[in-house]
Amino acid sequence: MEAAESVQSKAERGFKYALLAPAVIWVIGLTFFPILAAIHFSFANYVLGEGITGYVGFDNYIRLLTDSGFWYAIFITVLFVGITVPIEVCVGFILAWIITIGLPGKKFFRPVLTAPLFTTEVAIGYLGVTLFTDQGGLVSALLGALGIHIDWLSTSAGGLAAAMILDIWIWTPFVFLMSLAALSAIPNDIYDAAMLESSSHWQVFRHVAIPLSWPVLTIAILLRVIEGLKSFGLPYALTSGGPGTSTQLFSIMADLTTIQFTDFGRGSAMGVLYLILVSVVITFFFKQMRKRIE
Amino acid sequence: MEDLLWKNSKRASKLVAMTIACVATVWVVLPFLWAIVNSLKTHVDIFRAGAIIPFLQFTPTLDAWKEVLSDPQAFNSLFSSALVGVGTTILVLIIGTPAAYSLARFEFKRMKSKDITLWFLSQRVLPPVVVLTPFYILLAAFGLIDTWTGLILLYSTFNLAFCVVIMRDIFRDVSKEVEEAARIEGASLWQIFWMIALPLSLDGLIVTAFIVFAFSWNEALFASAVTSQHAATMPAFILASRSTRGVDFNFAAVNTILAIAPPVIMSFFVQRYLARGLSFGAVKG
Repeated sequence: MEAAESVQSKAERGFKYALLAPAVIWVIGLTFFPILAAIHFSFANYVLGEGITGYVGFDNYIRLLTDSGFWYAIFITVLFVGITVPIEVCVGFILAWIITIGLPGKKFFRPVLTAPLFTTEVAIGYLGVTLFTDQGGLVSALLGALGIHIDWLSTSAGGLAAAMILDIWIWTPFVFLMSLAALSAIPNDIYDAAMLESSSHWQVFRHVAIPLSWPVLTIAILLRVIEGLKSFGLPYALTSGGPGTSTQLFSIMADLTTIQFTDFGRGSAMGVLYLILVSVVITFFFKQMRKRIE
Repeated sequence: MEDLLWKNSKRASKLVAMTIACVATVWVVLPFLWAIVNSLKTHVDIFRAGAIIPFLQFTPTLDAWKEVLSDPQAFNSLFSSALVGVGTTILVLIIGTPAAYSLARFEFKRMKSKDITLWFLSQRVLPPVVVLTPFYILLAAFGLIDTWTGLILLYSTFNLAFCVVIMRDIFRDVSKEVEEAARIEGASLWQIFWMIALPLSLDGLIVTAFIVFAFSWNEALFASAVTSQHAATMPAFILASRSTRGVDFNFAAVNTILAIAPPVIMSFFVQRYLARGLSFGAVKG
C-alpha cells in the first residue's frame, strides 16, 4: 500500500483532486464565507436595500445579551431538547430491543414504527393544531372522556408540551432505527452466552444490550441534541410562537428577527452567539465521530 | 439468538413486549388516521367534538380534497417541492459522490482523508440560523429570492456534506480487489469509478438520494424565509395557509396528507442502510 502510493502516477493525483475539488470549493464558498459574512454583519447596522449603513461594534451583541427574551428563547430551547431527547432515546431503544429479541410481526412493526421519521415537520405541527384544539380535537376528545381538560394551545406550558409530544412522535423512530442497527450488530453468540448464563431478559438487556450499544446510542443522542437545538418547523406551525412570544424557540426568534423585522445585524449576532453556544455539543459530537470514522 | 431469547422468555414478558409494540403502533398510526378522517369532514363537522368515526358519527365528503386540488397555489407548491427536491438530489449526487469516492480511495498530502471528511461533517451539523442572514442577502443580490434555483442552491449546500460523508463510508465497502483487477485489465481510474464502484454502491446511493430528497422536501426555515409564492414549497405553503386559513382544519388535513405522503411512502422502500445513512456511517447496518 505504502509502496503503491509512493509510485502514485500523475494521472492518479490529477484524478483524485479533480473529483474532490468541486465539493470543497462549494463548501468554502457557500458555508465558510457566509459564516464570515454573518460575523461581519453582526458588528454592523444593516438596512435592507441599502446595505451596511455603519458599524456599531458590539452593540448588537450587548443588546441581545441584556435582552431577557433572548435568554428565554435559549432556555425553552434547551428545555425542549432536555425533555424530548431522553424520552426519545429510552422509548426508541426499548422498542428496538423488543423487536430484536424476536417479537412476532417484526416485518410489520419495523416500517410502521419508522414511518413518522420522514413526515414534514410543518405539516405535523399544523396537524397538531387539529389534534390539540378544544374545538373537536382528538386529544381533547380522548382526554375529555377521562374527565381531563388541558389548555394545550392557549398557554405557553401547554403549547410547549404539545410541541414536545409531536417532536417525540416524529423523532423516536430515529433512535429506534439506530438502536435496531446497533443491537443487530451484536454477535449472536454473545446473546446466546448471556442468555445461558443469566436467568432473565432484564439481565441481558442491562449487562449486554445497553453497554454494547452505548457507542451508537451516544452518536444518536448527540445527533438528536444537535437537530433538536435547530427545531423550527414543528413548534412554529403548531403555536406560531404564541401565546405572545412564549413558545418562540431560538430558531423561530432568529427567523422572525431576520426575515420579518429585517434586523440583519441583530439576526447575524443571534446566529453567531448560537453557534458559540452549540459548539460545545458539536465538539463533543466530533470527538465521538472521530472514533467511529476510519 | 433471536429465537433463543424469545423462546426462553416467560409468557408474561412476551405479553408485555407485545403490548408495548401494539401501544406504540396505535400511537404512531393515530395522527395519520386523524389527518385522513379530518380531510373527509365538512367545515361544520370539523369543529364538532363528537365527530370522530366516519359514517357513524359524520358523513364523509371529498369537498376539502376537491377544494385543495383545484387550488392552483397548492398545486404549484407540490410541484415546487418535487422540482426542488429532485434538483437538489441530482446536484448533490453529482458534486458529492465523486468527492466521496476520492476521499474513500486516496490519501492527500496536507490533510488525512479522514480529517477532510470530518471537515465536511462540521458543515452539516451547523445550525442553519447562523447563515440565514448571509444567505438571504446573497440570494437577494443575485435576484434569486422566491426562485427554484435559489432553493436548490441552498439545499444543495446543506446536503452536500451529508452525501460526501455517507457515500465515502459506502465506497469503502467496495472491495479493492475488484478495482485492482479492473485496473490490471487496463481500465482507467474514471472507468473504475463510473463502471465498478458506482454500480456496486447503488444501494447506498439510493438511500443517500432518498435522505437528501426527504430533507429538501421537508425543510421549512429557509423555504419560508426566501420564498413567497412562485417557488413556495409545501412547508412554506402550509405555514402561509396556517395564518390565512388557520381554522379550516379539513383544508389543513388535506395539505398535511399531500405533504407527508411522498417521503413516508418512499421510506418503506429504502429500509436497508437507513440507519447507516442517518448516522453519517457511524452505525453499520
